[in-house]
Formats: sequence, C-alpha cells, structure tokens
Amino acid sequence: MVINDDLKLFDNTFIKELNRETGKKIEYWDIRATYTEGTTIDFTDQKSTEISSYDITNCGIRTFINGGWGFYVLKDISKNKIRSSFLKSIKLARLTESLSKNKFKIKERDPIIGDYKIDCKIKLSNVDIEDKIQLVKNHEKIASNYSNRVKNTRTIYMDAVNNYAFINSFGSQVRQNLSYLRLLNVVYSQKAGVIQRSINSIGGLGGFEITATEKAERLSEKTAKESIKLLDAKSPIGGKFPIIADSKLTGTLIHEALGHACEADLVLSKESVLKGKIGQKVALNDITVVDNPSMGQGKTFGLPYEIFGSYFIDDEGIPSQKTIIIENGILKNYLHNLETSSRMDLTPNGHGRASSSSSKPQVRMGFTYIEPNDWGIDELIEDTKNGILCEDFLYGYTNPTTGNFQFKCKFSYKIENGEKKELMRDVALSGMILEVLNKVSAIGDKNTFGFSSGICGKGSQSVHVSDGGPYIRVEDITVGGLN
Amino acid sequence: MDNEIDFFELASYGIRFAEKKYPSYKCAEIFVGKSQYTNIELEENSIKYSELGSDNGVSIRIYNNHGSIGFAFTNKLNKKVIEKIVTNAIKMMNAGTSDPNFKNLPEECKNYPKIESLFDDSINTLTIEDSIELIEDLITVCNEDNQAISQSGDFTANYNVSYVFNSNGVEACGEETMFSISSNIIVKDKVTGETSNGYESQVKRKLADIDGTTTATEALKNAKKNLNRIKIKTKKMPIVLTPKGTINLILNPIASAINAELFQYKRSFLVDKREKRIGSEHLNIEDNALINGAVGSSIFDGEGIPCKNKRIIENGIFLRTGLLHNSYTAGKEGVESTGNASRRSYSSVPSIGISNLILQPGTIPYEEMIKDIKEGILLNSTGDSPNIATGDFSGLISQGNLIIDGKVEQALNETMFGVKLLDLFKNIESVSREFKVYGSYYAPFVKVDNVQIIGAKS
Repeated sequence: MVINDDLKLFDNTFIKELNRETGKKIEYWDIRATYTEGTTIDFTDQKSTEISSYDITNCGIRTFINGGWGFYVLKDISKNKIRSSFLKSIKLARLTESLSKNKFKIKERDPIIGDYKIDCKIKLSNVDIEDKIQLVKNHEKIASNYSNRVKNTRTIYMDAVNNYAFINSFGSQVRQNLSYLRLLNVVYSQKAGVIQRSINSIGGLGGFEITATEKAERLSEKTAKESIKLLDAKSPIGGKFPIIADSKLTGTLIHEALGHACEADLVLSKESVLKGKIGQKVALNDITVVDNPSMGQGKTFGLPYEIFGSYFIDDEGIPSQKTIIIENGILKNYLHNLETSSRMDLTPNGHGRASSSSSKPQVRMGFTYIEPNDWGIDELIEDTKNGILCEDFLYGYTNPTTGNFQFKCKFSYKIENGEKKELMRDVALSGMILEVLNKVSAIGDKNTFGFSSGICGKGSQSVHVSDGGPYIRVEDITVGGLN
Repeated sequence: MDNEIDFFELASYGIRFAEKKYPSYKCAEIFVGKSQYTNIELEENSIKYSELGSDNGVSIRIYNNHGSIGFAFTNKLNKKVIEKIVTNAIKMMNAGTSDPNFKNLPEECKNYPKIESLFDDSINTLTIEDSIELIEDLITVCNEDNQAISQSGDFTANYNVSYVFNSNGVEACGEETMFSISSNIIVKDKVTGETSNGYESQVKRKLADIDGTTTATEALKNAKKNLNRIKIKTKKMPIVLTPKGTINLILNPIASAINAELFQYKRSFLVDKREKRIGSEHLNIEDNALINGAVGSSIFDGEGIPCKNKRIIENGIFLRTGLLHNSYTAGKEGVESTGNASRRSYSSVPSIGISNLILQPGTIPYEEMIKDIKEGILLNSTGDSPNIATGDFSGLISQGNLIIDGKVEQALNETMFGVKLLDLFKNIESVSREFKVYGSYYAPFVKVDNVQIIGAKS
C-alpha cells in the first residue's frame, strides 16, 4: 500500500515517544490524521455551477483521564506541531477531569496493527476531470430531455481519496487508503401549476467503476421518471392505516425507530427509551435486527464496490463486526464505542465513528437491517384490505427520549381490498419506538430484501450509513396528510 | 496562531499568479477564512469534553469570458499550494460549460455600513476555565430540580476572520465572534416513569450576553411541558406557534422561498406571487443585516458586497424587491445584489442566505392571544420542513400542547398536522408583542386559525 509521506511519522517510535511523554498524566490517547483530495462537480440545467478540487488535511488529538476528555484539532501535520498540540490536549483532558463529577475508566484493549485499502478498478486519480464532467453532463442531458414537463435538473458528483492514519496509547497503528464517490440527481417537473421533485443518489467505497454500474447509469432517467409520475399523485388522507413498507422504507424505519435508541451513548445519558431493556422482549418473535458494517457486502447485492456504512475499522481502532441488536424479539445488544463498552463492562463492537479526523468519534450505526422472513410482495398486498403501500423515503427522524419518530415517504399507493390503487405524494408516517416493533404483522422473504444508502446526522456530524430489510407490514400507523 | 501568514499578501499573490497563468480570464476572487474555536461539552450533567481547534484556508473562484467557473480550495497556506490550487481552478474553469447568465464578480465598493459589536475582544482572554464556568450554570439548574435526571449541552466560542479580494477591486476584511450555549434536559415523571426532553439554545456576539441559567431553565420548562403526553383525535383547530414554531413554519420556509436562486429555478412556492397578497395583514417581514450586535448582521457578504436592510413582505404583500440575491442571481435578473451571498467557510462557493430575518411583532400580548381559545394547540416545534417548491407541509408535532379554555394543558404524542403554507399565512389571525431571537431569526408568537390536526386516537 502506498502511504502518503506525511503520514509515515505515525509509527511505533512515535507512539513510544508519546507514551513516554504521557507518563501518568493521562490514561488513554489517540491521534487520527487524514489527507484528503477531492472533486465536486455541480451542474444545474446542463450548466456548471461549481467545479472544484480540494486538498485538505485534518488531525485530531484526543486524550483521556478518569472521565475527562481533551481534544485538540490542528491542520498542520508535522512532528513538532503534533508534539506541542499533544501537550495542549493533555492539559485539556486534565482540566476537564478536575471539574468532572462523572468518573470512569477506558479499558485497555489489544493493539491493532494493520494497513487497509479499498480496491479500485479505476482509480479516481487516474480519471481526467473532463471524464468526470462528461458523466455529469450525460446525466443532466438524459434528465432534461426526458419530458417537456421537466423544468429543472441538478446533478452533483463528489469524490474523495483519503489517506488515513490512526495511532493510540495501546500501541495500535492503522493506516488506510480509502476512496469513495457519490452521484446525486434531482429533477423538478411541472404540470399546470403543480411542481414535484425527485432525488436519487448512488455511491459507495471504490473507484470510478461505481459510475458504470447499471443502477448508476440509469440514475437520472429514474429520477426524471419519478418526478413526472409524482405530478399526478394526490395529496394524502390523514388517519390510521396499516402500511406496507418497501425495503428502503423498512431500512429507514429500523434506523430511526430502533437504531438510534440502541446507541449506547444515548442509553448512558438516559436519553434512550431502550435504557434497561437488554434481555427484554421489545418486538415480535419474528423480528431479528442486525447492524453489520463489515466489508464485502456489496458483492452480496451484486455490486462491484463496498456500500456506504461499511468500514474496515472504526475511528477508535476497533474492527467492524456484525452486531445482533434484536434476536427473535429480544433486545440483545446496544451499539458501542470504546467509552460506552468500557463503562458497561463489555467488549467494544466497533461503532465509534467520526465524520472526519477533526471530529471526535461518536456511537454510530453502519449498515442496519431487519432479517427477512417468508412473505412475498404480491401476497402482502393481497392480504391487506385497506392500507397504504409506501415506497422509498425522503427523510426521517426520531426523538429517542420520547420514542416518537416520523418519516416522509417518496411514493405511497392506496391499497383497497388487496389491490394497489392511486399514487399519493408527501405522505408522512409517525409512530412510537416501543409500539411499532410489536405492530409488525408480516415480514417479506429474501427476494424482497434491499437497502439504501444515505447520510445520517448526529451532534453536528454526518456519516455515511446504509439500512435495509425486506418488505414489512405494520398495523395502525398514523399517517399525516393535507386532507 | 498562524499569525506569521500574511493573508493579504497570499491573496494578491494568488490573483497575480492567475493573471500570469491565464491572462485572458474575465475575473477572479480569493477568499481567505480563518477560524478558531473552543468547545466544552456536558454529558450526563457533568463536564466531559473540552476541545480547541482552528481551521484556516483559502479558495479561489475564477471565470473565463464565457462565464465558466473554476473553484479550488485548501487549508495548506503557502505560496506553493496557492499556485497548485490556482492551476487546478483554471483547469476546472476550462473544463466547465459557458454560462451567458454570469455577468461579473462585484465591482469595487467604498461605502461599507458601520455596524457595532460584531466582535467581542473578550474572546482574546477567554480561558477553558471561564468556558467551563458557563457550563456549570447549566449543571446547577439540572441539579436543583427533582424531576430532571440528566442533561447534555455545550458551550462554543468562535472567532472568524474573512477576507475577500477580487480582480475588479473588491477588498474587504472583517472579524467577528460568536458564542453559543445549549441545553437538552431529560425529565422523568416519578409516578408514571414517563421521560421527556426539552431543548434551548442561545447564540450571541458578546460573551457577556451568554446566560447558562436562563438557557437551562427554559430547557427544563420545555421538558416538563412535554410530560404527560396524550394522543388526540383528528380535528381542525386554531394553533398558536411559539417563537420556535414560527421559525419552523414561517421564517425558515420564507428564507428558502425568497432565495433568488431557488426562485429563478422556479423551485419556490412564491414564484408568480410577486406584488401579490400571500398572507394576512399581520405578515410583515424584513431581512436586516445592519442591527448592532446581531448574529445575522454583517458589514459585507461572502463576495465583499456591502450588506443592508431589505423589506420582504409588507402587510401580507410579497414585494417585488423581496428576493435575496448574490451577484450571480442579481446579474441574471438585471438588478443589484442585495448583499446576501453566504459562505459557510472558504470551502464553499457563495450561495444565498438570510441576514437577520424578522417577523415584525404585533400589539397583543401572548396571554391574550390564547385566552379565548376553547380548544387549540400550542405548537413549539416540528422536525419537519415543508416542500418549498409546492408550499405543502405535513409532519409531526415534536413538541406541542393542547390549549383548553385558554390554558396550556397536556403534551401531545404522535400528533401530526398538514397545511398549505399560503393558507397558513392567510389564516394568521394575530402576532404577539413578545418575540424571541434565535440566531438569525426574530420570532414572535403567531396565532393561526383552522389547521388540520391528525391525531392517533381512534
């Protein structure tokens, strides 16, 4: 693996030197540093509104003693600058500790030493900017020419190559060479005063080959088609209905309605309704929920790249691994970082993630999903008297303290007497975390399984995540509408 | 920190290098941003985390004679890297498409407004210990209450310098400070075991204006108001928006809808509504950048254009001049920029943003506003936002209470509502005398009649 020259300083000798410096002043430290080079291409109505390139460094030095954390962020990665900043970070931790009432320890872990690299068939650095622009132009053209009702199109291409180094006081030494890209397409259509839009994106960890997958190639056509389709959609009728969620909406539902409340930092801060519920039945017997950020899952979906939300190792040097959250209805595990696992006397399960080396790791999800069961899609619809089939989502959020969550669906079809009927737009769904998992009345089979990727925000940090599952039916969901 | 780097020298070097490298460029701009921050975090009602950091960087934006744009940025501040990013930006510009709508970058300007108190020099002497002391005020409020079980929160102090320099002669440099404190308190009902939370925050230019005790007390009040939640039946009712609700449903959507970029792309529900009535006579909105000491005030915008006060909506009429422009959208429409170019940092091209968006307060007190409501809802916040293109809203009431016979009663669970924003604006019955300032928003209480509420109770 090619290591950026500036990151070579993060070696064993440097770890030893910093550990000598530390003495008994602090109990744990880690340093993350990244060099990032990236490109953004932003087109609206077939014209470039931004074509940019950047070259950025980030470095964060975190120190800990007895319940107090210090974090020092710098942008200049030289040995001298890191040494002096390390001392400042130690001061911060000690000062924090002296005023903190909540004391705890970080448990020592075995050091991890490894180099990790994303396999790219076509390296981003070998692709000329003209080719990236041509890709965006093609998508803009397809979307604009799709119909004369298309009024406005936007396509954004973003890529980045990350050279990453991590060291900590346990002697861990991780180096990574990461590469990812994302292509996003937005289409607005108009008909007789009605404006509708659709957004789709594709992306993952890998090289430029991501843009040549079938899904990527059809991105703008799909978006244009959807926005036209929505022009004829009706405003929804509010009330309580059984809903059938497609795999993407199931994913969001599980991410919002369960995932966040399982983040152990929120459990410790008493902000989660799932506090104290490990070992208890929180869902129906048929429900098993997993978070698995391990690499290699793109293949299982037939994709030549890694999906967002998967990683080799988290930002605290813990390898990514499959964690069972709910097994047959019983809450088994929370998601942990180094701190929460130390405090709950458990093994960390690799969920300490940060949006960049300038931000501290938080407890975050990776790829969260419900395991499939035995219903087919047609069977599900036929079995539903009066309900709504909801496909894909626009956004979702949850309040882990009250347990109330809500999402906005992209497409919603009325179901009447087992038949899929007219399309509705802007359907909002709401429910309660602890109730909804007990209202699932059918779980689709593995043929209905799918996922989607997106960006999840928490405490002003954003990270890539994926979530998914089979089609499921949930009874008695509150649907918001204009009528 | 990094005072050894002469930004002015670096910026003019960048422009000179661009001239040398590509003499036929139309115009270019260098933006330098420098920031330093302190952040203290509170978790489980105890100090847990202190952070110090800085981020200094530079970007170049360059156009050719066909209006094609190139942009590049870095946080490595030296001449060699400046040469590299200028070269990259030129490459990007040459690879882009022509745009006849691009007129020019702003011309040199001499008349910048005078605004007081955007910078507070107490940031120079602020220590970590001082910052922690402010957080201690939050802790005390939580400790002294027997229903409060936990609190998270933070205090942040920010110092920013921005410097814009372009080939048409614009040169503007300014420094500002920003302090913020926030509190999220968790309360538990001792009898029912029910938990809820309440959030409150403050953003100020002056350190002395930061008040942890008030912030946490308000958060605690919100949290308690959100206990004993009930589900209600579907019904049409009057609602009273609290200042936060006013931001969610009136100010924030209007901020997007009057953004000239969205407007020109016809992605705003206010397209075709210029000089027309869009709300009741109680709807009066301006965007004022000139208020001394206000968070949204500034002397110049992200492109170096002087900022000003703009009237947006008067007595419910959306004014012809009520759009917010940067130099690009202004050029496209053939008007002057309103000085609303915004950039989060050196790493972004200028977009469009509000200054201080103000809904003019009315004359009646809040108490009087709710006094005559037999059955209604006090809406404190929603996590949803409307579809700006259509103006349709449907979403969840994250925090809200029933109003029964003029009194604020139980909190709501799983209660949604749906409304077309233009109907909501037209149904504004009154605006309160009291108002609150949250960041760049000035928001009073607003009473709206006849809103569709969707409850979970069958």
